[in-house]
Amino acid sequence: MSDTPGADAPQSDEPGLERRLKRLEAILAALEADELELEKALALFEEGVGHVRSAERILAETELRVEELLGDDGRTRPLDGDEAS
Amino acid sequence: MPRDDATLDLFAAPEPSDAPDGAADPPEAASEAGSAPPAEPEPQREVWTVSQVNRAVRNLLEGQLPALWVSGEVANWKRAGSGHRYFTLKDENAQIRAVMWRSDASRLPVDPDDGMEVRVQGSLTLYEARGEYQLVVRQLEAAGAEGLWRIAFEKLRARLDAEGLLAPERKRPIPRFPRTVGVVTSTTGAALRDILSVIRRRAPWTRVLVMGTRVQGEGAALEVAHAVRTLGRSGRVDVLIVGRGGGSIEDLWAFNEEPVARAVAQCPVPVISAVGHEVDVTISDLVADLRAPTPSAAGEAAVVDGAAVQDYLSAVPTRLAAGLTARVASRRRAVDEGLPRLRRAVQRLVEPRRDQAVRLRERMGRALAMAVERRRRRADVGPRLHRAMAVAVDRRRQRLAGLAGRLQALSPLSTLERGYAVPLTRDGRVLRTTEDFTPGRSFVLRVTDGRIDCEAGAVHPDGDDPFTASKESIHE
Repeated sequence: MSDTPGADAPQSDEPGLERRLKRLEAILAALEADELELEKALALFEEGVGHVRSAERILAETELRVEELLGDDGRTRPLDGDEAS
Repeated sequence: MPRDDATLDLFAAPEPSDAPDGAADPPEAASEAGSAPPAEPEPQREVWTVSQVNRAVRNLLEGQLPALWVSGEVANWKRAGSGHRYFTLKDENAQIRAVMWRSDASRLPVDPDDGMEVRVQGSLTLYEARGEYQLVVRQLEAAGAEGLWRIAFEKLRARLDAEGLLAPERKRPIPRFPRTVGVVTSTTGAALRDILSVIRRRAPWTRVLVMGTRVQGEGAALEVAHAVRTLGRSGRVDVLIVGRGGGSIEDLWAFNEEPVARAVAQCPVPVISAVGHEVDVTISDLVADLRAPTPSAAGEAAVVDGAAVQDYLSAVPTRLAAGLTARVASRRRAVDEGLPRLRRAVQRLVEPRRDQAVRLRERMGRALAMAVERRRRRADVGPRLHRAMAVAVDRRRQRLAGLAGRLQALSPLSTLERGYAVPLTRDGRVLRTTEDFTPGRSFVLRVTDGRIDCEAGAVHPDGDDPFTASKESIHE
């Protein structure tokens, strides 16, 4: 977050919760279907654990970020959560 | 009633014979001063101009009667190019000309239809150019609950419905885990405070992008519509909340106007509409993908409760491990089934060759003992796995880092450690059956601490000649 209008950082390409949880569901479905080769199963297991860790990291965020969009040109400014509470 | 007095004055004034004494001013002076018309008859007959009469009557009308509420039926409703509305208010026996100036008429949610029963509030005046008296209407209400508002609402709803914009199949699902929630409302209102408070409590990792607008009054609808379009097309939000806190039907009206309805219907991301309290339903609510009864409820609909996600995630490592455990178990079953077949094959070998029986039995006994011992050791794997699983389940609410570390012990690599080996092709595919091998085929044997390049010898599917099949198994 920046105090300078227009300096808003683009969203990261890191997959968000939605994609991670969807992928986790797919991994669980594959593992529980028991039709995988051993090495593939291991790879999925490790990928799944990675998604759980990343998702937990996302959940660990405690500071709500609120910004105000100032106009059509995409400029924003931080909107203090307390300002509206 | 004041009206009676006024009427008496009105008709008494121009009558020279009934006029009271004392008003000696000429008519011109009287009309300029705006006071009661002159009443003192001169020796000669006094003559008024038409304008003087009308001005005098107008002054009487405007000065004597308070603003009135009048009920009647609308007729000849006409909207002039200037924006003023002209109409007639009537009952069975009488009618009054009425006018509603543009500034007042612009507050009407919709123009009334001819024949509609209405109540109007206004003041009487006289249109001097025509000598017609008329009611200048400031407010107009249709009879019945919410009157014109309800009528305007139903008209717009019917039109949008005819276009299919209210169809249930148009409703898009609300994303369960939005990264960014867009909010269109007043930045100073209680609605924003409520929405932020809910999101902060449930999903503080979410980002919120607010576009502030006025939410009531002239032009509010256009501002809201513009903000919905801007945020919706920004590519920055996954879901949009549009709304405001409670208020009168007039306060909420912007959300019943067509520009807002169209902007919501065309929004590229799903829209949650939350206007007023639970009982207030607006056109925006009907067009949106989801109607939330209040702004707080909109916040709850937009983000999932983090605690529920945490619970789900806590169970995942256990499920992942269970998937692997099931796979190991199925492999053990395959071994268990193979062992009796081997034993039968050995017996068939021994029967016809009694002369070698003693020696063979001795060696076979050793081989079997070893096989059985190996099998028992493998069978031990089950309880051990289950104990490990039980530990994992018991502690699943602990932090994930510790959990994942322990789960590593359950991975297939540990299975390899216990003596299993997996034959693989060079590109990593598991070789499962004799059909996967041909004599001379090279393959990789994956054991716990590495890989061994191998080459297949003769291949013996079960069911081949028992002698040759067993020979290599036993005479090793």
